[in-house]
Amino acid sequence: MNSSLLTPSSSSSSPHHLQSPATFDHDDFLQNFFSSAPWPSSALDDDAPPPTSDSSLAGFHHHDVDSRNQITMIPLSHHNPNDAVDVNALYSGFSAGSLPFHFPQGSGGGVMKQSHTQTQSQATASTTTGGTAATPQTKPKVRARRGQATDPHSIAERLRRERIAERMKSLQELVPNGNKTDKASMLDEIIDYVKFLQLQVKVLSMSRLGGAASVSSQISEDAGGSNENTSGENQTTAKMTEHQVAKLMEEDMGSAMQYLQGKGLCLMPISLATTISTATCPSRNPLISAVKEAGVPLSPNAATTPVVNVKGASVVTVKGASVVTVKDASSVSKP
Amino acid sequence: MASADKPINTDVPEKDVFALHFLQSLSNLRRQNTFNSPEKTNDRVKKIKKAAYVSMARAAGGTNRLWSRALLRRAAKENNKIVRFPRRKKRVTCLRRRSNRRDPVEEEEAERLRNLVPGGGGMGTSKLMEETAHYIKCLSMQVKVMQCLVDGLAPK
Repeated sequence: MNSSLLTPSSSSSSPHHLQSPATFDHDDFLQNFFSSAPWPSSALDDDAPPPTSDSSLAGFHHHDVDSRNQITMIPLSHHNPNDAVDVNALYSGFSAGSLPFHFPQGSGGGVMKQSHTQTQSQATASTTTGGTAATPQTKPKVRARRGQATDPHSIAERLRRERIAERMKSLQELVPNGNKTDKASMLDEIIDYVKFLQLQVKVLSMSRLGGAASVSSQISEDAGGSNENTSGENQTTAKMTEHQVAKLMEEDMGSAMQYLQGKGLCLMPISLATTISTATCPSRNPLISAVKEAGVPLSPNAATTPVVNVKGASVVTVKGASVVTVKDASSVSKP
Repeated sequence: MASADKPINTDVPEKDVFALHFLQSLSNLRRQNTFNSPEKTNDRVKKIKKAAYVSMARAAGGTNRLWSRALLRRAAKENNKIVRFPRRKKRVTCLRRRSNRRDPVEEEEAERLRNLVPGGGGMGTSKLMEETAHYIKCLSMQVKVMQCLVDGLAPK
């Protein structure tokens, strides 16, 4: 790596005082650099710096590659006798990046003002991190940020927080309406979504009965009637259910709901039912003649509206895949 | 643990796997003599629901996931069956410091999540969120499967 860097420069600009690559040494370079003429930001237009600074510049580039930093590499082929320009270019490179080296305190005034404090704290930080990393631990070598403590507890804490934030982000994509930035509200959303999904499973497992098994047998059994195992519903049994429900509703809403739920049915306001029926495909199962019916594919969302509009006297039973709207104003009196 | 986390794996099998498991459990249920006779529908509902969860847990990875393991253990306990799960080899996670595990600000919410997700009680917050993500994916897959079944079997 040494040679590759320095060869272009040496080829392009011959009369240079580059140190031979073989003998290039980190410490030597540093000494050269610090002893060289300062580079104040205002003094860049000065005449060419002394030869030693040349070598230090070249060496500096070399150092770039060694350490992990963001200094822009300025090709040494541009290194021409007009050193002022070079120094300018280098300086812009420096100010853009961050210097990882150990700047001695007030090194000959040749300190680039804006990057000085940065490098200072970074230097101290890196030394301490180096110290921590040296202790036998399983902690990763995390480079401490500016101004943050570097003891193991806070590192662990920070790691943990980062990990959690990362998972939060992935959860955010899963949950619909996950655009909340606040962590607390995001967690609320997640919790609600999990609850919703579990409720969906529950409702779907209820409706499975309507599709697969024979609900009619259930209803007819309750009505004490015939045992029909056909998939179609019996008109009279449905009417009986309806009466049953109405009777129950007069006593206690809860029991009525439970009764219906046991059959895989639910209550819905009639306006909603009509909306649903008009929104989707028309009737499927001709059930009760005196009844306006609408066929709606069962979706858990539609089925789980436990709102009862008793005033309008609507008992809507959702069976399997059909919605039947029953208008029975007289029997229901409870508001 | 390394600062760069191993990539979190929240892959979930395809819908077919879930469908297969669920249908298998349903057919098993059907074979039970007491199932189709006219009885209280609540029992059937509960059985179907439990079958749904168990089949989901199996499809999602069996004992490889904490939540599925907890679910299966819970289901087995209800049936009075003792199940033994082979102990997975301890991962490097135990090296992680447990000193600052809980953060009181987010803890109450995490508590609610723990109650919802099976097996949530024994996990750290970070692991909990990972499990939640997988759980949500599996739940939505299961819901899709069941919905398709219902739609497919709806009387024309």
